[in-house]
Amino acid sequence: MRSIWALVRKEFIQVFRDPVMLRLIFVAPLIQLFILGYAVNFDVKLIPTALYDFDHSQLSRELARAFSIGEYFVVEKPMLPLQRIEDGFRRDRYRVALVIPEDFSSKIESGEQSAVGFWVDGTNANSAGIAIGYAGNIIQGFNESHLPLEVPVEMRQKVLYNPEGKTIYFMVPGIVATLLTTITVMLTSMAIVREREAGTLEQVMVSPISTQAFILGKTIPFAILGFAEISVALALGTVWFKIPFVGSKALLYGLAMIYLLTTLGVGLFISTLCRTQQQAMFFGWFFTLFAILTSGFVTPIENMPRIVQHITLANPLRYFMKIVRGIMMKGAGATDLYPEIIAMIIFGIIIFTSASLTFTKRL
Amino acid sequence: MPKAIETHNLTRAFGDFIAVNDVNLTVDYSEIFGFIGPNGAGKTTLIRMLCGLLTPTAGSGKVNGFDITSQPEKIKRTIGYMSQRFSLYRDLTGRQNLVFYGSVYGLSSKELRARIDEVTSELDLGGFIDRLTGSLPIGWRQRLALAAAILHRPQIVFLDEPTAGVDPAYRRTFWELLYELADKGTTLLVTTHYMDEAEFCKRICIMHQGRTIAMGPPRELIEKHGETDLEATFIKLIATSNRTG
Repeated sequence: MRSIWALVRKEFIQVFRDPVMLRLIFVAPLIQLFILGYAVNFDVKLIPTALYDFDHSQLSRELARAFSIGEYFVVEKPMLPLQRIEDGFRRDRYRVALVIPEDFSSKIESGEQSAVGFWVDGTNANSAGIAIGYAGNIIQGFNESHLPLEVPVEMRQKVLYNPEGKTIYFMVPGIVATLLTTITVMLTSMAIVREREAGTLEQVMVSPISTQAFILGKTIPFAILGFAEISVALALGTVWFKIPFVGSKALLYGLAMIYLLTTLGVGLFISTLCRTQQQAMFFGWFFTLFAILTSGFVTPIENMPRIVQHITLANPLRYFMKIVRGIMMKGAGATDLYPEIIAMIIFGIIIFTSASLTFTKRL
Repeated sequence: MPKAIETHNLTRAFGDFIAVNDVNLTVDYSEIFGFIGPNGAGKTTLIRMLCGLLTPTAGSGKVNGFDITSQPEKIKRTIGYMSQRFSLYRDLTGRQNLVFYGSVYGLSSKELRARIDEVTSELDLGGFIDRLTGSLPIGWRQRLALAAAILHRPQIVFLDEPTAGVDPAYRRTFWELLYELADKGTTLLVTTHYMDEAEFCKRICIMHQGRTIAMGPPRELIEKHGETDLEATFIKLIATSNRTG
């Protein structure tokens, strides 16, 4: 017990004495949170839109106004004639063009069906799709307000948990999960390998400290730092980015503790494999990159090829990612998340025990 | 009479390379026992086996009455070890290092304070114990490393080239400290390159290519081989050993 405490204290003295380490632990994640929070944004808003109105009628202006209300489209008069519409797309002047033909209002007034042209820049298929969706909604609204007829089917949509569709609500919980993974895997593996490199590990191994005490003393500090780290990230997320935290914080921290068994175990495992800090860094990087890419952090797992989907089942972060998002965004409770929780417990126990068993006090 | 250290045909191989080959030796309590030999002679491997850091490939050994293969953790309680490489934390002060190593050996904070005061005066660490270890000159670091190795009052202390890279005047001071320790009843096992240091030992063991090629008090070895000093004796022994293969 005394030796565990001695190790924990020593580790903290070392971390706080090393300014580079401190920056790595506390500043880097904040930058990550800000950059990812702002940059990774799938929200489609303020789309520059060229309006070719050849009708110039009351009705055509009304349709144009329907597009400019709201924050999705920014409707402008085009700089170039219709013949050169593509030049505008190539030059990124606009991403969408709305073409209203001359006979637009006359056809409607005579009871005929009219058509408008909607051009979209399809370079980014995702945002093109979203723009088409918005436009469809606007046209539908226009139809409903101009036809006395009842529309046969009306869709009443209800978007749950993130009705405004803000990417950042989805990203920040993901960042919290990846931060905890990266920091605990990296720091644990580096801390042991650094001692091996410096020769201090030999000195500790020749002491009667038990392997269990050594492992605990070497992992507890990074578990604490991991918790400090996600607390900072959560505080920043809720205060600065104003992200709602719907579920139970206690549940999130409790499950993070279980998840840490896995990441600390992986760190420990790397440190038994590696002789130098470079090797440990490489392995740590490899693991976290794999874990993040197949966790559903950015790309939904359902979009992945079936075989990759099976591989993701072996990724502990996948479960924790779902847990963090579930708790923060949907207010999920332990019963809602039980398959993930069980998976994490199994991962944690297997990885941490096998890593501890492989770690010996022999050179 | 119980021996501090006994080994029987102790052998350690790394793959095809036999680092320690069939070593038999006994070391009495409170003697200073020296291992000398060229680089790669197997001194460090032998010490690491005796400290329970490496398992022997063949043979057996006892340290303080405990078996090196089956009871390494019991051995670790009763020995001190100063490795060849400086192994204190450079980013901690001397005192923080001592507190850390003392706690790892299970000293209570009260014992620890008392012991740190004791070694500080014995080894004269007062002037630099609160400075960052990494910033100290090598001689002072070695004294701190010795302090860390004896903090828990071990009966046997292993010192692997404790004076490598230390200037000659300072080596003398260091050996005076070792003598004081031996006078108080501590058994010391020292490896060294320096022949003058070897002569300070009560008995020495000359190692070459994993084997012990001579053992005994330095004076006796010199006389037995008809030489005048240890260096000449050493060179002669190594040459003979190379010839006979």
